[in-house]
Amino acid sequence: MEALKVCNLTWHPLKHLLHSHAFRRTPRTMVLLACSSSTAADTRAAGRRRRSSPSSSTTSTSDREAVRAIRLKKVEELRSKGLDPYAYEWDKTHGANQLQDIYRDLGNGEEKNSENDHISVAGRIVARRAFGKLAFLTLRDDSGTIQLYCDKERLIGDQFEQLKVHVDIGDILGARGTIKRTEKGELSVCVLSFAILTKSLLPLPDKYHGLTDIDKRYRQRYVDMIANPEVADVFRKRAKVVSEIRRTMDSLGFVEVETPVLQGAAGGAEARPFITYHNSLGRDLYLRIATELHLKRMLVGGFEKVYEIGRIFRNEGISTRHNPEFTTIEMYEAYSDYQSMMNLAEEIVTRCALAVHGKLSIDYQGVEICLQRPWRRETMHNLVKEASGIDFNELGNDLNDAKRVTIDTLGKNLDNKDKGSIEACHSIGHVLNEVFEIFVEPKLIQPTFVLDYPIEISPLAKPHRRSTGLTERFELFICGRELGNAFSELTDPVDQRGRLEDQIRQHEKKRAAVSTEDDRKDGMKDDDDLYEVTLDDDFLTALEYGMPPASGMGLGIDRLVMLLTNSPSIRDVIAFPVLKVQQ
Amino acid sequence: MEVPSEAISKNALKRELKNKQREEERKRKEEEKAKKAAEMQKAKDNKSAPADDDDMDPTQYLENRLKHLSVQKAEGKNPYPHKFFVTMSVDQYIKEYGGLSDGQHLEDVSVSLAGRIMHKRASGSKLVFYDLHGGGFKVQVMADASKSDLDEPEFSKFHSNVKRGDIVGITGFPGKSKKGELSIFPKTFVVLSHCLHMMPRQKSAAAADNANLKRNPWVPGNTRNPEAYILKDQETRYRLRHLDLMLNPEVREIFRTRSKIISYIRRFLDDLDFLEVETPMMNMIAGGAAARPFVTHHNELNMRLFMRIAPELYLKELVVGGLDRVYEIGKQFRNEGIDLTHNPEFTTCEFYMAYKDYNDLMEITEQMLSGMVKELTKGSYKIKYHADGVDKEPIEIDFTPPFRRIDMIDELEKMAGLSIPKDLSSEEANQYLKDACLKYEIKCPPPETTARLLDKLVGHFLEETCVNPTFIINHPEIMSPLAKWHRSKPGLTERFELFVNKRELCNAYTELNDPVVQRQRFAEQLKDRQSGDDEAMALDETFCTALEYGLPPTGGWGLGIDRLTMLLTDSQNIKEVLLFPAMKPQD
Repeated sequence: MEALKVCNLTWHPLKHLLHSHAFRRTPRTMVLLACSSSTAADTRAAGRRRRSSPSSSTTSTSDREAVRAIRLKKVEELRSKGLDPYAYEWDKTHGANQLQDIYRDLGNGEEKNSENDHISVAGRIVARRAFGKLAFLTLRDDSGTIQLYCDKERLIGDQFEQLKVHVDIGDILGARGTIKRTEKGELSVCVLSFAILTKSLLPLPDKYHGLTDIDKRYRQRYVDMIANPEVADVFRKRAKVVSEIRRTMDSLGFVEVETPVLQGAAGGAEARPFITYHNSLGRDLYLRIATELHLKRMLVGGFEKVYEIGRIFRNEGISTRHNPEFTTIEMYEAYSDYQSMMNLAEEIVTRCALAVHGKLSIDYQGVEICLQRPWRRETMHNLVKEASGIDFNELGNDLNDAKRVTIDTLGKNLDNKDKGSIEACHSIGHVLNEVFEIFVEPKLIQPTFVLDYPIEISPLAKPHRRSTGLTERFELFICGRELGNAFSELTDPVDQRGRLEDQIRQHEKKRAAVSTEDDRKDGMKDDDDLYEVTLDDDFLTALEYGMPPASGMGLGIDRLVMLLTNSPSIRDVIAFPVLKVQQ
Repeated sequence: MEVPSEAISKNALKRELKNKQREEERKRKEEEKAKKAAEMQKAKDNKSAPADDDDMDPTQYLENRLKHLSVQKAEGKNPYPHKFFVTMSVDQYIKEYGGLSDGQHLEDVSVSLAGRIMHKRASGSKLVFYDLHGGGFKVQVMADASKSDLDEPEFSKFHSNVKRGDIVGITGFPGKSKKGELSIFPKTFVVLSHCLHMMPRQKSAAAADNANLKRNPWVPGNTRNPEAYILKDQETRYRLRHLDLMLNPEVREIFRTRSKIISYIRRFLDDLDFLEVETPMMNMIAGGAAARPFVTHHNELNMRLFMRIAPELYLKELVVGGLDRVYEIGKQFRNEGIDLTHNPEFTTCEFYMAYKDYNDLMEITEQMLSGMVKELTKGSYKIKYHADGVDKEPIEIDFTPPFRRIDMIDELEKMAGLSIPKDLSSEEANQYLKDACLKYEIKCPPPETTARLLDKLVGHFLEETCVNPTFIINHPEIMSPLAKWHRSKPGLTERFELFVNKRELCNAYTELNDPVVQRQRFAEQLKDRQSGDDEAMALDETFCTALEYGLPPTGGWGLGIDRLTMLLTDSQNIKEVLLFPAMKPQD
């Protein structure tokens, strides 16, 4: 009883307890939908109000408390009978799907009970029906579902009674028995004995209503997964994608390494970092915003092909495409250039698509995406010209001219925010990029490599070998989203230092502008650019020791998984996404 | 004094010099050909430069190299070519042409190799020998003016500017010297990237060692001797890892071994139908272990977040969700001091396996570790390890399964002659253990909770005996808030820790899945917290609710990958196995 006492202190009511007992003593046939909440007793005790408010995804708090109280009572009853409601282990011989497979050819009404057909399964009970001396339970495990056929005559001892009284939907059960296909064609384990392995205390959410409460799905992912088995499939596919990427990299001779998350300076990208404090070192540390600079140091050290799959952190807003922590792969290869990285990007993405779908034509949110190689390769200048009619090659070098031409040409297609961002650009390269982001990006649905970015927005890329002002860089777009970013790496330490210093100067200028603006606006803080950017001197020193010509690429794994699992939001492919604090 | 540590520690000075350098560069660009001609003349005069370089002041050296680069740029040459087409790796080259007979040349074959020059030796102005290192392998380059595309004066001028440390691309033909050394004879020779710093010099003994590069490769499980490395200074090795990797070929093998250990674990678990998952590294509550977390802040959400100290609670939530076998290999973060075995971020593997208990997991641990040792050492269960420092004889650690198992409390009572009160949560037990610590002069810094006192005693009496892999099993409940109570021994849990070389390597248990008991345990942790133990575990409500939906009987397991790598690479310092370990700020 000790357990109950504690529970009484922590949460209260055992309101419906007595009420429910009455029902448990009058067994009747109850038919419940798969995954709807719980057993007869529970439902009677707690379920009625639920049905009248179908929009709510779970029972109200008091209903939940009632169910919990009833089930805690069952836990005590089991213990008092010497049964363990929380078993230690179960020797499981087969998965549900494995059985479905092995006995595929078993005819309706046929049974198998030779020695080899004595099997044991374990999983969660997601549905049950009872008819007098027969009960049918649906058991779901990692691989799929199978029916448990429970005949009072066949079950040992008083287990049939125990089944009726103590087993609820949601419990984890282990069952031993033989195999039978029912007259209706349902493959079943003809149960000889079973054990409650874990008694569940809360009712499972209703499948259909559970789906509507999106926030709750993310907050309590395990409930989401119990109610919607297809959710688990997304994570299975995610594992497959990551492992396929690894296999591809390993087969090409790349070595996987781990570089630090906590860094003295957050470099390799332009983003607001998370800051933390190390007590014993007595200093601030940044969470990495990219793995780039450390991986390049590996190239200096003599590794010729390295990669890292790991978490990146950016202190930015959350959206359907952004989570503060996300997973990327970055890879670096000595003696190659961005052309070969394009081939590698095609190789990786197509291999992953084949691993997940077995084909290269996939559906994403109603649009057919064709991943057949080769993918379109087009320069940023040409794409912008195609979409906007502006040829940036002919604009000359005057920034104000460029802005004027852009706004004159596109005027009516620009809203004020767009105009503002174009006005704010401090180089022609930035203007080009603005136009690209507004007019081109959303249209890049089929896989496209966008080549040769302006040098002003590519501080780590090597200058283009033929076109001045441009770099040897590409980004990969699919479904209007950036999936990858790659360049021939800048190896000249003098040039690199100059560019990073320039980047810091630009940032400081913006920062100064923002803070004066803030002074004026009085409290209307837009502190997006108020963070500090520092120079990674260790990286620059490493470059001075000589980095071989190389190319590198980063791919967003979450976005790739979104694409390959047809998921509209990044929260669908991250098991526990960051959410706003609940009220 | 092989390391130009002055140059390294004087970053500020260097930066200043570089600024000056850029100024000069700018000026130079404006200047006329006359100046360039003068520079060229100067370069020509520098013919005998290689010999002089070594005596040069490091700052002067850097300045000279920068000057050389800016001259090239001013001439419109790109000192950093975009692409060099490599036809084979040095490794492949050795395999392909290692069988040539002495003096044999294949003049009609053309091969392109690339790598770093680690040694240079001029024999007059028409013949220069280089050691080219690539991918951990080495080949000799015999640059002969008569075989080159350049004429003689060009040849000698060019090679006077190729420095030790430069990355070069060579196209030429294979052959063996008369002495039988496999070489490449360049027709064209391009510097692809420049080493602007003076490379630490290789002593002749070390160079001889170097000639054996890869002939006798180091294999995991054998001893290493960092004292014999070309670059010895630990501080420099860890701060400038790229230099460490360049100069000390064995270091690359440490990180290859690390990578192999991780991929072995992945393969092992994948073969058991485990699913690899990723759980958050930033948490609202730092749960799953007892440690001081890093704190950070999300601006837009205005939310305080902790860096995870363990993925345990999330992984168990996934098992509740129906993923019966999951694992995660990833970083954990603990805001603790830095020492020989602790880095603020470190890598672990945790797995959770439904329907298994700690007995099953002990077997799995034995299989995994013994199998791994055998594969990495190429056939042996035994490894050599300098447990007492590199100057002492290494010890042998034997991973032959099964591993020794000792019962924590029983064995402690036996070893220390104690009779600990059965009710470990009692005041009596606490006093008894305080007295025991006093008697054996074992220090336990406050708070003197029973859990902490026991931990100290176990560390003193039991862990010291665990050199070969040993499971210490059945920890008391008060030490193990997430482990299930023992099915037959009251007050204890079904938990084990694996110790190797007296250090904890694995921690595993039959998972506590009774939500009521779990809440009680958290409440007890709270008591410890209130008595001053700020490392006691915090309650995670989401996790407790998850347990109420039912966690199947599950075995859970964690392994410290850095520590395992230390054992297999004969490393006494965790920094040896981390590419970029956390270091104290320099200034």
